[in-house]
Amino acid sequence: MGNETKPKTRKSGKTLQTAREAGYFGKKMLKKGLEAMEKGAPIGWSMVTWWQGELIAKAMDVNLVFPENYGAFCASVRQAEPHLERSAAEGYPNTLCGYARNCIGYAAMLADNGGKVPEGAPGGGLAKPKFLMGSGAACDARYKWFQALGRYLDAPVWTLDLPQTGTNEFFMAGNKELNISFMVSHLRKFVAFLEELLGTKLDYDRLREMVLQTYKTLELAHQVDLLRRAKPSPMVGTDFWSVMIPHLYLPDDPEAYEFYQRVYDEVKQKVDNNIGAIPNEKYRMMFSELPPWHTLGFFDEIAEQFGIAIAIESWNYHPILPIPEEELDGVTDPLELIARLSYRKWTEYNPVAVKYDTGPGFFMAAYLQFAEDYQADGLLAHPLMSCRPATYTLLHTRNALEEKLKVPGVVIEGDIVDLRVFNEEEAISKIEAFVETMDHYRELRRKAGMAW
Amino acid sequence: MSDEKKSTGLAKAHEIYSHRSKRARELKSEGKKVLGYFCCYPPVEIMTALDLIPIRILGDMDEPITVADGYLPTVMCIFYRSCFDVGMKGKYDYLDGFVGSHACDGAERTSHIWRNYMKTPCSFFLDVPHAATSEAVRFFKDQMNYFKETLEDFAGKKVTTDRLQESIALHNKQRGLVRELYELRKPDPPLLTGSETLEVLISTMMIPVEEGNTLLEEVIQEVKNRPLATRKKPGRMLVWGSLIDHTAFTDLIENSGFNIVVEDTATGARPFWHDIEATEDPMYGVAKHYLTEVKCPRTFTKSGATYKEDLENRFGYLREFAKYWNVNAIYANIIRNCDIHGYEVPSIKDYFESLDLPVLIIEQDYSTAALEPLRTRFQAFAETIE
Repeated sequence: MGNETKPKTRKSGKTLQTAREAGYFGKKMLKKGLEAMEKGAPIGWSMVTWWQGELIAKAMDVNLVFPENYGAFCASVRQAEPHLERSAAEGYPNTLCGYARNCIGYAAMLADNGGKVPEGAPGGGLAKPKFLMGSGAACDARYKWFQALGRYLDAPVWTLDLPQTGTNEFFMAGNKELNISFMVSHLRKFVAFLEELLGTKLDYDRLREMVLQTYKTLELAHQVDLLRRAKPSPMVGTDFWSVMIPHLYLPDDPEAYEFYQRVYDEVKQKVDNNIGAIPNEKYRMMFSELPPWHTLGFFDEIAEQFGIAIAIESWNYHPILPIPEEELDGVTDPLELIARLSYRKWTEYNPVAVKYDTGPGFFMAAYLQFAEDYQADGLLAHPLMSCRPATYTLLHTRNALEEKLKVPGVVIEGDIVDLRVFNEEEAISKIEAFVETMDHYRELRRKAGMAW
Repeated sequence: MSDEKKSTGLAKAHEIYSHRSKRARELKSEGKKVLGYFCCYPPVEIMTALDLIPIRILGDMDEPITVADGYLPTVMCIFYRSCFDVGMKGKYDYLDGFVGSHACDGAERTSHIWRNYMKTPCSFFLDVPHAATSEAVRFFKDQMNYFKETLEDFAGKKVTTDRLQESIALHNKQRGLVRELYELRKPDPPLLTGSETLEVLISTMMIPVEEGNTLLEEVIQEVKNRPLATRKKPGRMLVWGSLIDHTAFTDLIENSGFNIVVEDTATGARPFWHDIEATEDPMYGVAKHYLTEVKCPRTFTKSGATYKEDLENRFGYLREFAKYWNVNAIYANIIRNCDIHGYEVPSIKDYFESLDLPVLIIEQDYSTAALEPLRTRFQAFAETIE
C-alpha cells in the first residue's frame, strides 16, 4: 500500500490520512479482477451480501468484483453517464437503481465487445464473470438486476436469501434459530452450486480462517465507530465512505485488518488530543443513506459554512455490533458462523425498535440509537432517486427522531449516480435554514433534561 | 349485506367493487374480526380457518396522494404510497388486524411503516423468501406457523388440521371458479369484459370466501346465459405486470380497440391459477403453494444455461396463456417505481417478441387523473394489430 499523501481537496473531503489511503483497496479489487481475467481465473460479480456469500466464494478462489461499488466509482469520476444512456437505450426504466443502470449499460458494452473489457472503461472496467451472486437483502434490485444481466452475460445467477422478519416476529420463541438454520442450509446449497460450477471442493478449514479474520476486522472497525462518539467528531462521513471499503468488501484480508489498526490509531490519537475532524464543530449530524458520490465536496461546504460534522452515517454500511460471546459458544461450522454474522447485521437494532415501540429494526431503529450515542443535533436525510428502497424509511425515521428524541431532520433529494438530480446550491440553502431548527430543538432537549 | 342480497351476479359484483369496505364493515358490526393484508402472499386459508375475514388492501387511483407525502418518499412505489395514504385517511379504519408481507420492497417497507401509524389489535409481518428452493419452502412454512400462532392467540382458538383442510378446499374451490370464469373469455369475442372480470375478482377479495364462491357461481351462470354483451375487437390482449385495480383503466384499454382476455397480475390470475396441493401436512402445502405457484417476478427463478432458457424458465407459463386465450397483443403495465416489474421490461419484451407477439410497455402513475394521455398510445397500438 502506498504511503504517499494527497492534499485535501474539495472533491475528496477526507480528513483522515488513512481515509485518503483507503482507495487502495478499491483499486486492489479491480486490479485483482483484471489479473484474474488475464489468467483465466474465475471471476464473480457480487452484491454486498454482508459477508454471507463473499467469504465462501473467495475461499474457493473466485475473484469477486462488486458492480455496486463500480457504480459509485463511475459516478465519483463522473463517467457513469454513457452507461446510464446505454441502459435507457436497452429499454430499462430510468427509475431503476442508478448502480444497476450503470452496470447494465456497462454489461451491454461488454457484450458488444465480445466479452472483453471495452477500451477506456472507467477504472479498467469489470472483467466478464463466471457467475453472479445476488442478494435478497436490502432491496429487490440486488437480485433482479443480476437476473436482468442474462441478456448480456452467459453466466448463472445465484440469489442468496437473508431472512427479514418483522421486529416482533424476530422475538417470537425460536424464530431466530430457525432463521439461522435456514441460512445455513441455504449456504450449503450455495457451496454445492459453486463446487459444481468450479469443479473444485470448498476447503472448510480455509473458510473458517477467513471467517475468523472477518470477525476480527469487524470488531476492530466497530471499535472505530465507538471512538467516533467523542466530541468533537474525530472523523466524519467523508472519511467513513472511504474507510468502509476494506471492512465491507475485504474483511477477510489481513491487510484490511492492518489498515483498520491504523485507522483506529489515527482516530484514537485525535480523540485523545481533542482534535476534531472539522475546524469548528457546532452541530453533529447523522446522515442517511448513500451520499452524492459525485458531489462529496458538499459536506466540506456545510462543515465550513455552518460547522456541521457528519458524526455518524448510513447504518447498513457499518460493521456489526459484536455478537454476544455466548451465542458463538461451541459454534465451529464456518457456514453457521457466517450465517450468524450476516443475520446479526439485519437484526442488531431490533431491541432498539422494541424499546421505542417502532420499526423496522433495520434501516430505521439504528438512527434512534445513533442519535443518543453520538448526541446528534439532526438527521440529514438524502432520498435517492435511483436507490429507492434505501430511501423508503427515511421520512419515517425523521418523524420518529423528532417525536421520540427531539432530533429534527432535513430532507435533501439527490442521487448516488445521476448528478443532474442533486442541486448543491439549493441543498446548502436548505441546510442554512435547518441550522436554526437544530438550535430550536437543542433548546427543547435542554428543557426536557435530555443528555445533549 | 342488504343491497348485495337484492342483486346477484355481475350487478352484485359491481356493488361490492364500488363499495369495497361495506360488507367488511357489516361483518364487523356483527362481531366478526376483519384482517387487511398486502399482496398475494399472506395465506388467506389460515385466516378463513379461524373465522377471520381477509380483506385485500388496495390503493385508490381516484384519490390524490397527500397524507403519505409526510411518511413515504415520492420516489417509492406509487401503489403502496396510495395504500398507505388512504389507510391514513381512514379507509381501512375498520380493520382488526393487519398482515404485511415481504412481497416486494414497496410492500415490505410499507408494512413496517403501516404498523407504526395504524395500530390494530393484531398484526403480523410475513417474511417471504426470494428463492423458491426446498429449504426456503421449509423456512416459509415456519413463518406461516408463527403467523398461525399469532392469529390463534388473537382469535382465541386453534386451527385444527381438519379445519385448515376445509378452508383450503374452500379457497381451492374459489380458484377453480376463477379459472372457470377465465374460460368464458376464451371465445372471440370473450363472453365478459376485462372490466367485468376485474370487478368480480376484486369483489372476491373483499368478502368472505363462501360469499365469493357464490358470487362467482352466479356470475358464471349469468354470463353463460346472457345475450352476447361484447363485440369483436382487433386486439385480444394479455395484460402482464403491476396490478390494475380500477375499471377506469381497463375501460380505457377496452375502448381503444382491445378485449382484455387474460391478466397475469396480482389482481388477475396470479392468486388463483394453481390449487393448493393436498399434502399430509397442510401447512407445508400452503407454504409450497404461495412460494412456488404464485407466479410473480418477485420470486427468483433458477437461471437457465442460456438467455433463451432463462426466459423460458421465467415466462414459459405466459406462452401457454397466450396460446390458450389466442392472444395477439401484450400490454406490460408498470406502475412507476415498481422495480419488480421494471427490471423485467426488456426481457419480457424479448420473450413475447420471440413468440411474434407485439408488446406495449407503459410506466404509469396509478392515478385516474393521469390516464387520459394513455388513450392515444393504446389506440396507436391497436392500429398496429389491425
